[in-house]
This record gives sequence, structure tokens and C-alpha cells, in this order.
Amino acid sequence: MYESAKKIYPREIGGRFDRLSKLATVTLLGLFYVVPWLLWDERQAVLFDLPARKFYLLGLTLWPQDFPYLALLLIIAALSLFFFTALAGRLWCGFACPQTVWTEAFIWMEQLTEGTRSQRMKLDKAPWSLTKLRKKVSKQFLWISFSMWTGFTFVGYFTPIRELGLDIVALNVGGWTLFWGMFYGFATYGNAGYMREQVCKYMCPYARFQSAMFDKDTLIISYDEKRGEPRGGRKRSVDPRDAGLGDCIDCQLCVQVCPTGIDIREGLQYECIACAACIDACDSIMDKMNYPRGLVRYTTEHSLQNETTHVLRPRMFVYAALLLVLCAALVTSMATRTPVILDVIRDRNALYRELPDNVIENIYTLKIINQSDDARAFVVRVSGIDGITLDGVPDQVRVDGGGVLSVPLRVRAQRENAYGVRKIVFDIEAVDDASVVMAEDSRFIGPTP
Amino acid sequence: MISEEYRGAKQWSRNKQAVFTVAWISFLSAAIGTMVFFAIFDPVELSGLFDEELEISHDAGYAAGFFFFWVLCAICSGVTAFLVRTAPKRDAKHRQQ
Repeated sequence: MYESAKKIYPREIGGRFDRLSKLATVTLLGLFYVVPWLLWDERQAVLFDLPARKFYLLGLTLWPQDFPYLALLLIIAALSLFFFTALAGRLWCGFACPQTVWTEAFIWMEQLTEGTRSQRMKLDKAPWSLTKLRKKVSKQFLWISFSMWTGFTFVGYFTPIRELGLDIVALNVGGWTLFWGMFYGFATYGNAGYMREQVCKYMCPYARFQSAMFDKDTLIISYDEKRGEPRGGRKRSVDPRDAGLGDCIDCQLCVQVCPTGIDIREGLQYECIACAACIDACDSIMDKMNYPRGLVRYTTEHSLQNETTHVLRPRMFVYAALLLVLCAALVTSMATRTPVILDVIRDRNALYRELPDNVIENIYTLKIINQSDDARAFVVRVSGIDGITLDGVPDQVRVDGGGVLSVPLRVRAQRENAYGVRKIVFDIEAVDDASVVMAEDSRFIGPTP
Repeated sequence: MISEEYRGAKQWSRNKQAVFTVAWISFLSAAIGTMVFFAIFDPVELSGLFDEELEISHDAGYAAGFFFFWVLCAICSGVTAFLVRTAPKRDAKHRQQ
């Protein structure tokens, strides 16, 4: 299905941006594959335990109620993307996007088994032979094993990875675990092995709207047309000025190294993922020709027009200020987060009960979630009506570390204080730490006067 | 020339673009939807509301929820893509005005 698009054979090129991109690939993939194996206090350091509905992040345990933190984190991530796009163009696409990073890894395996660009092109055109079969089979072997390991690692973020590994060895893996592992593995195989740049061109929403974040001061990778044209081949001994030529020798290297198969010399194109391979390619040629580097380079539209580039511009200040505010909000709210949650559920079956001596009684269930890792004792109190009392609650309730405790209780008040619907407040306080308090409103219902 | 070699053949067909884009975008939307939904609701408690006998695991609940959102988003996104692409073209006379 994918073959209807002509396969692009990016040529391998060394250079400073190639080293940067390899560093990014190794770091990011390294993190992905290593992080689930790290331990923190004898449990997995990063584990999104979906069955238990708890996320472990190093020393932090997050509960479904902490979802706003995740939302805030996602907003911060999106805003950082805007910030870096406005500043330096498609840095994300070229160096950090999983699509790019995994494609790099897959192309590396392709090079290892099938050879250089020209060897790969020749191999694909050649009729089937034992050598071709051997090369293709070894490539597929590498790709498939790598994909399966990727799927396994992915699932390892949601299921304790060490136990999962043992389960796999014992051929005793749960159906859904197996399914998601295969799903992610297959997605990696298809996206990084076959679809590659097509994903960026046709399926990526960011690639389409990133131009909205660009202005004339954004770093772009561009060919210096004024310097390069008219392009043409020449001997190294020929002075291009005498021959009436620009600095571009039309060697096509920048096109051959491009992973999306475009010609950077045609100007800024939305297919360009800013991987900077063409800069490395062109610089290597400029060095050979003894011309100054930078015929293809990181530049801005303003600087190409011989105008000043403004890095510090209003847009950058707005993005930076927003980012700072949001990060500060996230850090403060995390730091001041009370590790206990209180839910109050009013008994739905009865509005109220009348007891002797003009006492009105309502029934509630408190749900106390202790988010810290250690067991804690709490004192439960109620307020809001004169002379209101609790019944059926011990002096202290003990909740296990990471545990949930339901406390059924009765609240009583004198009839003359409890007509109609009153607001009451339950609050709990940890016995060992007076700063761990949580209050929750509810209603107390009494007879009509 | 190499760039010419790629040219013309490097495009996906319109249909293929539509199918893959719809699948991918609805996948992303479903992922967000699933995250928000299950942050609020526990699938095991939910299944208990409908039928006390019905016992599903968390895994199955999350998967069912995710695929429900994916199919829903894919239908929405697919029908929109279809309607946009098959909308009657404005006729030539109208366009000249």
C-alpha cells in the first residue's frame, strides 16, 4: 500500500548537525528504553499503573484526582512547542519527534544490512537473488525484533516491566498486554520502516499549522540564492566569478541526503522537517571547493533580506511569560499539594431521621484517600450548625498508605438549629501533621419549620 | 536529476491521505478523550452500574473505552472529510463574480 509513493533513499552524511541528531536519537531512545527499568524505593520509578489507577513518577504518586496536573503539563508542553517553533523553527520535527527519532533508528538498521544509498537503490532494482534475500531478511529481522522490543517497553510503562519480562519468558502474558504490545510494535514498524516522511507530509497536524508560528525572525534552514545562483558545475581551479557562476556547484548532494526528498534550493517548503542534513551536505562540498561554508544554513528571512534579525520580539516575551506563569503554577500547586482527598456522600435513601429529645440525624459516608505512601491517622470533625455532633466515628481513623477508607457516620443537631437545608463542613486533619487538612462541604437536611 | 526522480511519484492518492489522516487524527483525539474520561470514571465501577453480574477488568474497560472513542471520532472525522471532499463545486459563473 505504501509503495505507490516512490521510496526515498536518504544518503548518509556526516557533519555537525548529523552528530547532533545522532545524539538526540541516542538520548531520547535511550531514555525511552531505559526508564521503565529504573527503580525508586524498590518499586518501578515510572509506572502508570492503570489497573490500580495510580501513576508513580519517581517519588510522587498521582491519583485520578490529580488529573489537572497532567492537563497543566500538557498545556505547558504545547506552549513550549510554540515557543521553540517561533524561536528556531521546526526543531521538534528535525530532532525530537518520535517519528523522526524512530525513523533514524530504522534507517540506520537499513544501512547496516543493505548498505549505502546507492547500494540500497541498486538492491531494490535488482532481481531477487540469494544475496538480496539475505539482506532483506536480515533487515526485517532487525526491524521486527526492534519493534517487538519497543512494544514490550511501551507496555512496560503500564505493567511492571520486570514481572512482564518473566511472564513473557514463561509464555504467560495477558491478552490485552499482548495486544497493546503488538499494536505499538506494529505501529513503530509501519511508521518508522515504511511510512516515514509520508506521516509528516500527510498526517501530522503540527506540520500544517506550524507556519502560523513562524515570522521573519524565526530560524529557518535556507539556501542563499543570491550567493548560489547561477548554479552550475565547474572545476575546482575555476574562479566562479570569472565563469559568471554562483557558489552552488549543483552537485545534488543536498537533495540526496534529504529524508523528505525535497530540494532546499527551491525555498522554504512545508515538507522540510528542518533536520539540517542539507547543511552538513553543502558544508562538506563548500570545504572541498574551498568556498566559505553556509550556502545552505540556519538563517532568518530578515537576514536573507539583509535586515536585522530580532530574537527578542514581543511574541517571544508573550510565550516566555505565559510559560513561566504556568510552570510556576504547576510547581507551586505540586509543592503545596495536600496528600489526602476527602469525598462526602450523603445517604440518598433518607432525608433525615427524627430522634427523641428533638434531635435530627443525617447519614453520610466519608471517603478518605490517603495519597502518601505511609499509613496515617486522621481526626474527623464537622461544623456549620450550632451544637452539631458526630456519632459512630472513633476518635481517630487510620488509613493505609495509598489506601481508601469509607467511614459511615451519623451527624446530629437540635431541631431548632436544623430547619430546612443547611450547609455543613466536614474536615479531617492528620494526627501526625497539622498541615495535612482537607475540608469538604455537604448539606444537612432537617424538617420544615 | 534526483529531485526529478522523486517528483510526481511522491504523492499519496487523495483517498489514501484521507484514510490515514482520519485514522491518525481520530486516534489522537480518542487518546485524549480516554485519558480525560477514565481520570474521572473508573471502568470497573461503571460496569457495576449497568449490571451487577458483569465483571470486567480494568484492562478490558480501558480498551473498550479507547476503541469506542476511536470509532466515534473516526466516524465523525471520516464523514466530515467525505462531505467536504464530495461537496458540489461552485459553478464557473458563480466563481467569476
